[in-house]
Amino acid sequence: MFSLLAEDATVGEPTGVWGAIAGGAEYFIGIFNEGGAVLTGLVTGIIPTLLVLLTAVNALIRLIGPEKIENLGKKAGQPGLIWYPVRYLVLPVLAVFFLTNPMAYTIGRFLPERFKPAFYDSAVSFVHPITGLFPHANAGELFVYLGIAAGITTLGFGLGDLAIRFLLVGLVVIFIRGIVTEFITSRMMARRVAA
Amino acid sequence: MNNLLVKIGRGVGGVVGALYQAGRDSVETVIRNILPFMVFISFIIGLVLVTGVGDVIANTISPLAGSLVGLLIVSIVCSIPLLSPLLGPGAVIAQIVGTLLGVEIGKGTIPPQYALPALFAINPQVGCDFIPVGLALGEAEPETVEVGVPAVLFSRLITGPLAVVIAYFASFGMYQS
Repeated sequence: MFSLLAEDATVGEPTGVWGAIAGGAEYFIGIFNEGGAVLTGLVTGIIPTLLVLLTAVNALIRLIGPEKIENLGKKAGQPGLIWYPVRYLVLPVLAVFFLTNPMAYTIGRFLPERFKPAFYDSAVSFVHPITGLFPHANAGELFVYLGIAAGITTLGFGLGDLAIRFLLVGLVVIFIRGIVTEFITSRMMARRVAA
Repeated sequence: MNNLLVKIGRGVGGVVGALYQAGRDSVETVIRNILPFMVFISFIIGLVLVTGVGDVIANTISPLAGSLVGLLIVSIVCSIPLLSPLLGPGAVIAQIVGTLLGVEIGKGTIPPQYALPALFAINPQVGCDFIPVGLALGEAEPETVEVGVPAVLFSRLITGPLAVVIAYFASFGMYQS
């Protein structure tokens, strides 16, 4: 009975000018419906895990005490090949993990002037590769990774592979950046002294 | 005995306090930084999916992002010393492009193994807008800032494309059957 009624009640789509306006309205609201659906997916899919992860890491950092890496910063400024990996790999990674973006760059104050630009370059280049595993380090800029990772999720693949490779390649890249920028900085400083 | 109890009580209190404060910080971060960006990104994805913008982007970005040469071109453009400080602020550009690429990867127009080199190709400008501030946080002398800004910018011209090549070779075997 009710189904019959419902069938009878079906109305034709509006036509003509009014139809075009109505169609336009549906198209318009469709954009935001789609956006709303995407937002629901992001909020339910990402935020709960993210909140728990952020809390755990923030608590860990509080318990360890970020001031501990300052001692390493003081050592990393020494000359010698052994200190290159410390200065442009260990130090920026620990600084970004414990102090997060942008406070990580304050660790540069323990280094001699000639290493500061290279350390900054190294540290700032790590604030995205780290977000795949540790989003707390740069929570405001997650979508460089999350945006691309969303495509991988859509295809039904796990994100572990991408996250860990992003992190490892990031480590290689920040080390190279530190060395190259230190070289360029020293050349420019030498030229400045000569001039 | 009493001493022990006080010690345990203090220890537990400290840990619980740290956890609670950490939770408070996390909620604050999500509400202040993460949620607003999610809303913004959702709007862009909705726009891309419903309107024809998506097809235009697919036709222009996909050929670039689906090959090593294309990604190298993107990274070189983004690391040009005059452009990189303009593209940097808040990583907004990198985040939007990343999201658009993610949509295309999800649709299958870009092969998934290009996700890794793409992450580096869209981001050689990271922090290029922030060099003077970052150096100031490191208490650098004004002379160091004067040298440091061009030094980092020129370094990116070399290391930006290099990062894409490294990521390209590191992506072998990822998401391939």
